[in-house]
Amino acid sequence: MITVRVAACLALLALGLDMRATNAAPLDEAAENYRPYMIEGIGQALAGARALRERAAAGDLEGAKQAWISARAGWERSEVFTAGFVPELDAQIDAWPNADSGFHAIEARLFGAGLVDVQVDTDALVEHLSSLNNKLRDMPLTPQGLLDGTVRLAYEVGESKADGGESRISGTSLDDMRNNVAGIDFAYRTIFAPALTAADAQLAAALDARLKQLKAIVAGPDLRHIDIPALRRASEELVVTLQDASDKLGLRRATLEAASR
Amino acid sequence: MTFLRPWIAALALGFLVTSLSGRVMAFPVDGDQTTLPAKTELDEDALDKPREVFRSEIAGAKSYLINLGNLAFSSPAILGGVARQAGVSCETCHVNGAGNARFFMPKMSTRPGNFDTTGPLFNPKADNLVLDPVRIPSLRGARYLAPYGNDGRMASLRDFVRNVIVNEFAGPEPSPAILDAMVAYIQDIDFLPNTSLGPGGRLIGKTSDSERRGEALFTKPFRHDANLSCAGCHIPSAAFVDHRQHDVGSGGLFKTPTLRNADFNAPYFHDGRFDNYDQVVAHFDRVFDLGLSAQDRQDLVAYLTAVGDGARPYERDGAGASLKEINEFATVLGTAIPAGDKDIVSLAVDTIGNELRELTERYPDRKNTIVSGGEQQRVLARTALKQLVLTLRQIDMAMADGRSSDAAADYRNYRYLMAAAVPALLAGAEPWSLFNPAVHDSHYAALRQVMQSKHVSH
Repeated sequence: MITVRVAACLALLALGLDMRATNAAPLDEAAENYRPYMIEGIGQALAGARALRERAAAGDLEGAKQAWISARAGWERSEVFTAGFVPELDAQIDAWPNADSGFHAIEARLFGAGLVDVQVDTDALVEHLSSLNNKLRDMPLTPQGLLDGTVRLAYEVGESKADGGESRISGTSLDDMRNNVAGIDFAYRTIFAPALTAADAQLAAALDARLKQLKAIVAGPDLRHIDIPALRRASEELVVTLQDASDKLGLRRATLEAASR
Repeated sequence: MTFLRPWIAALALGFLVTSLSGRVMAFPVDGDQTTLPAKTELDEDALDKPREVFRSEIAGAKSYLINLGNLAFSSPAILGGVARQAGVSCETCHVNGAGNARFFMPKMSTRPGNFDTTGPLFNPKADNLVLDPVRIPSLRGARYLAPYGNDGRMASLRDFVRNVIVNEFAGPEPSPAILDAMVAYIQDIDFLPNTSLGPGGRLIGKTSDSERRGEALFTKPFRHDANLSCAGCHIPSAAFVDHRQHDVGSGGLFKTPTLRNADFNAPYFHDGRFDNYDQVVAHFDRVFDLGLSAQDRQDLVAYLTAVGDGARPYERDGAGASLKEINEFATVLGTAIPAGDKDIVSLAVDTIGNELRELTERYPDRKNTIVSGGEQQRVLARTALKQLVLTLRQIDMAMADGRSSDAAADYRNYRYLMAAAVPALLAGAEPWSLFNPAVHDSHYAALRQVMQSKHVSH
């Protein structure tokens, strides 16, 4: 049986990850600037989830759907940090395809079956989001972790939408993408842009252009009118440029996949 | 790396054992946001894929031209807006150069296995306002099967391919290099070997009495017109075709289809109206008043089945098969980068990257509720594949900036990763991947269950 150590060595060999110590002290302060955004995003998700629970309990399907969409928006804006910093909660809140709880389980009932019998699910969602919300003020925020999350989300935005995307039942996959891009944009501008501009203004300008390009693509009117090949290309070019920027920022190249701790 | 071999062998054995109980599950496109109509079935999740045999591999290896053609054949980028948007390529319908009997698209198909090439979806300008789908043909042995199209309207395969791209799928005018390559690829797809067929298309070896009687009936003149026989059009010595069009009572003139490997080409006739040989033989008996007995029909079906056979028609999909094709596609970069051919590099990067992204999704991520084990292995597999996608994108960006030496260096890195590390990581994650039939079936059953909630009446 292969050992964990051998697997890790293989991965490092495969990916050519550099093992330099990071030197990102000036970014630590900048990372703190991300915290209010994070608190606001999860706050919106939690408020939406509570409203969703209330509307569903009242039998108000349309109200419950609107609350789900609002909660979802706050969540998707926050995905820069959720997968890396709170992986277990992230997996519970955003599980698919046939989760017992979380956004997609509720989505299938509300938007799919047109039913509001989601009390158990909404209780769990509120509990998980509350638990996450309680961690936010004291959670250590590392620039490396936030760069990892930004890169991973930038890659994910370029994934195939031929099947209708992540939130295909509610038809809100494009909203997910826009909120993801908004989260990426905020994280980059708040945490990394000032330092990168100082270190390499040309690279910072290139990154700025690639972000604008991605925002322009997801501004299309609906998913059918999003240029999917262009979206994928823009997503990958942004990730490559962010990886280049990591060296200039004194950070390691970002990991491309989050793992449970 | 020798220490890995027993482990990989054990995994492979375990995989083979679990494969025996696997079965193909389908997952139609669904939802309100898809480019293709809801309920479209592409059968892309099939675990058994048609086996592709290449003439050039009998004595050597596939050329740059053939690999480029195969790449373009698998690329939505050469087609028009709707197809590109939906990720549809030639390969979607002609899986590994064969047909796609499960393909079904509402408003464009009347049954699985056919498709209206002059319908409204892909090129409204070519819409003839009639739902007249044609069977999706296999391309095996296409170099022997001119003229092209179900009605045989085009003598040239090159013209036919261009027509599919530009008129049927509203794609941009393909470059001569791409057209040449696609023709070279299609002409390289061989029939699956059939040891029952000897020189001149006669049955040889161990054949049943029924097959022998069927062969005799096949060449016997029709009772009301001695100039006609089955073999008169399906000429055994000429791949069972005569390169001509005929009216066989199916609504017009259609070209004689080959019977080679036809066991795997159902549905039959130009519009795919028949499911099996029994129905085909019954049709000819009725239209030409052949006066066949039940035994005669049975014998003809036995003969057709023997003629239409092929060795190992399907192969199990897995990381190995995917990587083999991806590696062949990537060889195109080895020629295009030094030649400074930016367009071909971009096409290759987009197409291979697409394949790699699809392969990544065969290894479920942390959030997937179906798989709980092998998380670290799945993370490593997904990470490695994503790194390959990004390395390819770096090549494209370097070429666009005129940094061809950087592109060449990135290509060397790509090949280095693909040589051993990536296959090992994928093999390590395979038991928890969608290549494992049990995981595959659970995953798609869950997806179907969720999507079906959309259709609950409320």
